Amino acid sequence: MLVSWNYRFRNSPMDHIDPRARFIFSFAVLFSATATWNPSVLFAVFVISMVWYSLGRLTWKDTRLGWFMISIMLFTMIVINTLITGGGAGGVVPPGGELIWPQGFDLFGRHFMFGLTVERLWFAVSQLMRILSISLIFIMIPYTMDSRAYGVTFSKLGMPDRLAYTMELSFRFIPTLARNFQVTLDAQRARGFELDAAKGNLVQKIRQVAPLLIPVTMNAIVSSEDIANAMDLRGFGQHKRTWLYELKYYWWDWAIIVFSAVMLTTILILAYRFDMKLFSVPQWWYGLFK
Amino acid sequence: MQDTYTTGKKKNLWAFGTNQVVYAAIGAALYAVVTWAFNVWQIPGSGNVGIRPAIVIPMFFGIAFGPIVGFITGFVGNILADMLSGYGFWIWWDLGNGIVGLIPGLFSAIIYKYNEKKSILLAELSVILGSALGMGVASFSEMWVSGADINTVIFANFLPAFLTDIVWGLVLLPVLMIAYAAVVLRSGR
Repeated sequence: MLVSWNYRFRNSPMDHIDPRARFIFSFAVLFSATATWNPSVLFAVFVISMVWYSLGRLTWKDTRLGWFMISIMLFTMIVINTLITGGGAGGVVPPGGELIWPQGFDLFGRHFMFGLTVERLWFAVSQLMRILSISLIFIMIPYTMDSRAYGVTFSKLGMPDRLAYTMELSFRFIPTLARNFQVTLDAQRARGFELDAAKGNLVQKIRQVAPLLIPVTMNAIVSSEDIANAMDLRGFGQHKRTWLYELKYYWWDWAIIVFSAVMLTTILILAYRFDMKLFSVPQWWYGLFK
Repeated sequence: MQDTYTTGKKKNLWAFGTNQVVYAAIGAALYAVVTWAFNVWQIPGSGNVGIRPAIVIPMFFGIAFGPIVGFITGFVGNILADMLSGYGFWIWWDLGNGIVGLIPGLFSAIIYKYNEKKSILLAELSVILGSALGMGVASFSEMWVSGADINTVIFANFLPAFLTDIVWGLVLLPVLMIAYAAVVLRSGR
């Protein structure tokens, strides 16, 4: 089993941004996008997210699996629940509204009545902008951030050293445990174990996973005590930890942090001080359906 | 691997020394690897909810090593699994997975012998509570993040995730606990 990280150095602008600034910006976008349903504000956040995503220079081939997952989520939430059933718009879009096809429409020689309203369709657009803004920001992180940087990033952002080091350590264990998993799987297969050929009822089928899961888990726990002893012998946790991977802020990182703070503050003021928190439909949108 | 089972000492629920750092790191890496290996199993029609036998790992690490280890195993493990799979970074689902490990960890204070009927029943209870709370937090956060309605959240996110988690947890956790009891006794370290 070959485990590989999705990150590779692309020499993109994103590769030169400090991971701390990136996380601060990502969370500022998350809170900005979720603070309002106002379409103009959501559009602005969406454009900012698009620009940010383009800085990563990611290709479709790199990220298609993640986008496939997001497209399933978008289909369930927007197409099924907002457009078809209308349930997804409940609580945000006021009841009633202007029907797009008040007389129904003909398709394949049959007449259909479909209660889609102009307001619900606009809500679907707003929902799409909000979800895509957040997805664009967060989906790119594993592809554009070196796995060695996570521990030090969270440590420098204020996470306790032991916790940050746990994160760092878990990255390092992945290849070893993946190899152990494959060795165990091969060994069990040599004994006639077949994961996909489970027979019996649900409980029996679930228990078929046990011959694989138990040895891998127990081996990992047994070996962890040796690792802990080795770390203790080297004085782990006695002094403040230093990190091999160093982080350094440049002027553009500070600019990103300031921009994040300004963006979030502005959107919160617009949402809560100027009543732009709630969903609204622009007049030009109604004009499209006259 | 010295714990109450062999030493008779009372567990310190919130200890986070070198042992716990390593257990949490191993647990997170293991959770990520096994989740990644089983990622091909997805629930059709659900909101991207995978069938995860690996969910038993944060539950078990919580029961065996306490709430902090359980939480980190679920939280960091889910981050790593999503990174390996190319799914991105979804902090509210990572948090939910952390809670799935945290709640059984809280029960670890009253679980002394892993192969006793009472311990197993308590662990099973923790699986249900942990899954309900963890997947509840993750699923209901979709209302805030994506603007999803309550029906979508319940039927496309919460129920598929909660039901598969408790099925895997209820069946596999006792098996792991009994295996671990034997390992602890045999090791005698």
